[in-house]
Amino acid sequence: MIRAAVPTDRSPGARPLHAALAALLLAVAAAMLPYASGIALAAPARGGAANLAMIGEPQTLDPMASTADLVSIIMQHVYEPLYTFDGNWNVAPMLAESLPAISKDGLVYTIPLRKGVKFHDGKEMTSDDVVASLKRWMEMAPRGKAVAKEIKSLEARGPGTVVITLNRPYAPLLAHFALPSGFAVIMAKDSIATPLTQFVGTGPYMFKERKPDQYVQLVRFDGYSARSEPPNGYAGKREALLDELRFVPVPNANTRVEGSLSGQYHFADLLPVESFSRVDGKPNVKAMLTAPFGFPYLVLNTKQGPLANIALRQAVQIALNDADMMAAGFGDPKFFSVEGNHYAKGTPFYSMAGTENYGRGDAKKAAAMVAAAKYDGTPIKILTSQAYEFHYRIALVMAENLKAAGFKVDMQVVDWATLIQRRNEPPLWDIYITHSAVLPEPTLTPPQLGDGAPGWWSSPAKKAALDAFDAETDSAKRGPLWGKVQEVVYTEVPYIRVGSFNSVTARSAKLDGYVVMPYPFFWNTGLSK
Amino acid sequence: MRAPSRSPSALLLRKLFRRRLVLAGAIVLVIIALLALFAPWVTPYEPTAMKIVDRMQSPRASHWFGTDELGRDVFSRVVFGARYSLTIGALVVLISVTGGVLLGLVAGFFRRLDGPIMRVVDAMMSFPDILLAIALVAVLGASMTNVILALAVVYTPRVARVVRASTLVVRELLFIEAARALGVSTWRILFVHILQNIASPILVQATFIFAYAVLAEAGLSFLGVGVPPELPTWGTMIASGQQFAHQAIWLVVFPGVAIILAALSLQMVGDGFRDLLDPKLRKAM
Amino acid sequence: MTRYLASRFVGMLIVMAIVATIVFFITRLAPGDPAAIMLGDQATAADIAKLRASYGLDKPLPVQFVYWLGELVQGNLGQSIFLQRPVTQALIERAEPTLFLTLFSIIIATAIGVPCGIIAAVWRGTATDQVFSGFAMLGASIPSFWFGLILMQIFAVGLGWFPVAGYGDPGVPLGERLHHLVLPSIVLGVVNSALILRFTRASMLDVLGDDHIRTARAKGLSEAQVILHHALRNALIPVITVLGLTFALLIGGAIVTETVFGLPGVGNLVVSAVLRRDYPVIQGALLVIAGLYVLINLAIDLLYLAVDPRVKY
Repeated sequence: MIRAAVPTDRSPGARPLHAALAALLLAVAAAMLPYASGIALAAPARGGAANLAMIGEPQTLDPMASTADLVSIIMQHVYEPLYTFDGNWNVAPMLAESLPAISKDGLVYTIPLRKGVKFHDGKEMTSDDVVASLKRWMEMAPRGKAVAKEIKSLEARGPGTVVITLNRPYAPLLAHFALPSGFAVIMAKDSIATPLTQFVGTGPYMFKERKPDQYVQLVRFDGYSARSEPPNGYAGKREALLDELRFVPVPNANTRVEGSLSGQYHFADLLPVESFSRVDGKPNVKAMLTAPFGFPYLVLNTKQGPLANIALRQAVQIALNDADMMAAGFGDPKFFSVEGNHYAKGTPFYSMAGTENYGRGDAKKAAAMVAAAKYDGTPIKILTSQAYEFHYRIALVMAENLKAAGFKVDMQVVDWATLIQRRNEPPLWDIYITHSAVLPEPTLTPPQLGDGAPGWWSSPAKKAALDAFDAETDSAKRGPLWGKVQEVVYTEVPYIRVGSFNSVTARSAKLDGYVVMPYPFFWNTGLSK
Repeated sequence: MRAPSRSPSALLLRKLFRRRLVLAGAIVLVIIALLALFAPWVTPYEPTAMKIVDRMQSPRASHWFGTDELGRDVFSRVVFGARYSLTIGALVVLISVTGGVLLGLVAGFFRRLDGPIMRVVDAMMSFPDILLAIALVAVLGASMTNVILALAVVYTPRVARVVRASTLVVRELLFIEAARALGVSTWRILFVHILQNIASPILVQATFIFAYAVLAEAGLSFLGVGVPPELPTWGTMIASGQQFAHQAIWLVVFPGVAIILAALSLQMVGDGFRDLLDPKLRKAM
Repeated sequence: MTRYLASRFVGMLIVMAIVATIVFFITRLAPGDPAAIMLGDQATAADIAKLRASYGLDKPLPVQFVYWLGELVQGNLGQSIFLQRPVTQALIERAEPTLFLTLFSIIIATAIGVPCGIIAAVWRGTATDQVFSGFAMLGASIPSFWFGLILMQIFAVGLGWFPVAGYGDPGVPLGERLHHLVLPSIVLGVVNSALILRFTRASMLDVLGDDHIRTARAKGLSEAQVILHHALRNALIPVITVLGLTFALLIGGAIVTETVFGLPGVGNLVVSAVLRRDYPVIQGALLVIAGLYVLINLAIDLLYLAVDPRVKY
């Protein structure tokens, strides 16, 4: 606030001078006013359309029907969840008014809903929409199905409250609502159908048009009900500054790079790490390195095929040279790290349990284990895709490592659509490769920690360790309990975490206000002229 | 009266090597074939041997064509790629020529079968090559065998057409009528007498189909609907190399040049054959 | 003449019928379940079965075929499973880039091929002829996708004269779109000019040796007149055939070029449809392209009637 410093000295001779001084100061202050308000606002400009280059064409626009990141990235602008993550990965309310009231025994969550939140069709959100949406999520999404097992009842209490009763205390409940992959979003009850043809949500952007293989077009929703807290991560106030968002599928990584450099795309997702040096330092583009971004992991079929034998799975683990695999996938060491602990040192879930089995690349020992397990020579079917180039390269190294250990290998390179379909069938694969974002809540990923995900990992040790972990709500005690889960994973080898990698994305220098988060979002961002 | 015992083919080969360009093409072809044949002895590295620390090296003494993103030697891969391309080409030619000759002879000789057979041939030829090949590989699955089968199906109609046209001409020649009058069996007429005299245009078509097959396999593999990507064919090398085109152009250049050399030398030889053909038969093509 | 046309028309129908049968059975025999792909990785078996039924995928093959033929005759190419819109609409939406690409490629190919072919024929045996013929052979040996990659590196990435890929954002003016087509058209045009050059040269050579050319020369007409008026007209006839052939080559080349340059054309549509097992689109595209080819052939034969006085039906 500008206050003119008017001296209160009343000595007679000084008065005209003081007045002049005061007037001068006032004048200067008045002249400063526009600048001051300009500085205070400093928000990115409003208007314009952004071209956002994505890794491909989303299979569906139904965020509950797919765990593919691409679907969540796009549709998180259209739909919102009850709770979301802030910049420190704490759970924060979104469509819920505030954090829920939890009963003393930890079994009953009373969730207050915000009032006056409008859907894109103009109707107000009520608890009916919330209950219908969450029920759908619990039936469709794998995490939803896992969460459904914990839930005794889910019902509306009046139009503004939803009550969830659990079977036993379950700490990760709200985190599961917040995770964008296989998203628990709130849809307008009347729009719910399978397959989903109308996309009616509460988000700052509305669905306008989809031209497959060309773009998905979202436009600003003028009736958006924003929160009032300042933006923090995904939480807080969301403002649709850009008029229009165009998500363009650009499967060719090189084209994404070139398009960013030429200014054709205002944002390009998941650039190959080799391109970082090309994009870094250019005047019109900003290269963004997210470290760590994610981890590639291999899923092993514990239900059918040669790897149903735990001894052979352990042999696979010993045979793999994870350092080589990460190097093949990502090249320069500044883009990846090779370590067996699932969580980095310094984070609450850091543990070295079981890591003596990691990254051994010991062909001899593995061969001995293979022989001892009486491997009958059935080829190990490796399922991979070239949609993510690093998947394919990692798979190639894995194949060589396995062959060196005496396994027979059958590489099957398919397109991504076929892979996600095939991985649901036990007889069709033995190992497939995919990746996940690094998330702060351990049970959120990979899906094999849940139930019914491909790989079909199920064992008493798993249940015991996870039950203990899920039941513990005291955050100080959760760390060591996670170590126990990690140890079971290293012993039973349902999946193998290969390492951590950093992602490279690029944005135009004109895209202001962009905040780097694993599922890129474009509210609160604008295009300067 | 007997059929001419001196086939045009023998005369052809002699005249062929008198033209310099054709000779050059033939030499290049022979070199490629020899490299492919003796690949394991000619190459300094295994084509699949990965050495991650040596990845993405530009051409140098230790790696003549550089290394790729997994540290594999590009020269070795290009040479082994020749094996795949030549094998695929040769098998495609073998199958399509066999099929095409059968269809074409029958269509050209038996008037009543001519219509139906050629209608099907016309229908097959209404599809652009790559399109039909893609569709067939999609049905059969992506493997080297299926690529060969798919391409053979694509090119058989072309051979059939040429064979039919030549058969129509040769059928009217006097000696055929004489043979028939003498009571020579139809099969013998078809497969000995007529075939002998249309061998030259078949040979020309065969060399061109070889070239087309090499190019087509590269295209299919590039699109991702050809042989499995872990096989080191020229097409898959370009497909995986294109994402590094900016920093490692050698990954794209060398396999491409190999394709050009193979296709070019085949066409030069084929051209040479064609130019020296009996003009009467040439008109029929 | 009408009898000729009628018989040609009937022949065309038969060919198209065979094409339709081939197309249907090729795509139906392919493995992979489009319904499962479309519903995503979390679909339940019940959902998939429901979707299959709604697309008629659960009926026996011959029944599906008859049904499909019936639709076809009414001009309905079916509904794309992935794109959720009629195949006809999807093809029309994607037609523009492919049509322009084909058009410009033919223009470039003809502009290079015909004059060079004439020159090569007229100066047969000289160094010029050898150079042009050599260029033609080279052109027929270069994989179009490789050529596209190299040109892209040099002119789009390196020099920045052209956009690297794509067809421009929705709503940009036509001129901007055409700018995106320059490099792909050059690639396809140059590669296909080879065939046109060879054919023009060969057919010019044929014609130049003909009797009526000798007569024209004997009459005292200048060489230029001989070439332009007499030789060219006759030589063009087979060249028209080649243009028809080139159309098929161009569609094939367009598929690959569209992939390299990321153009949202029909070729790209077909490749994605194959990868996604979108049967209706694959079938529709194959049918339309084959159908166009058959029609073009008919048109060319009719052109012969008009142009070549010697041809009598």
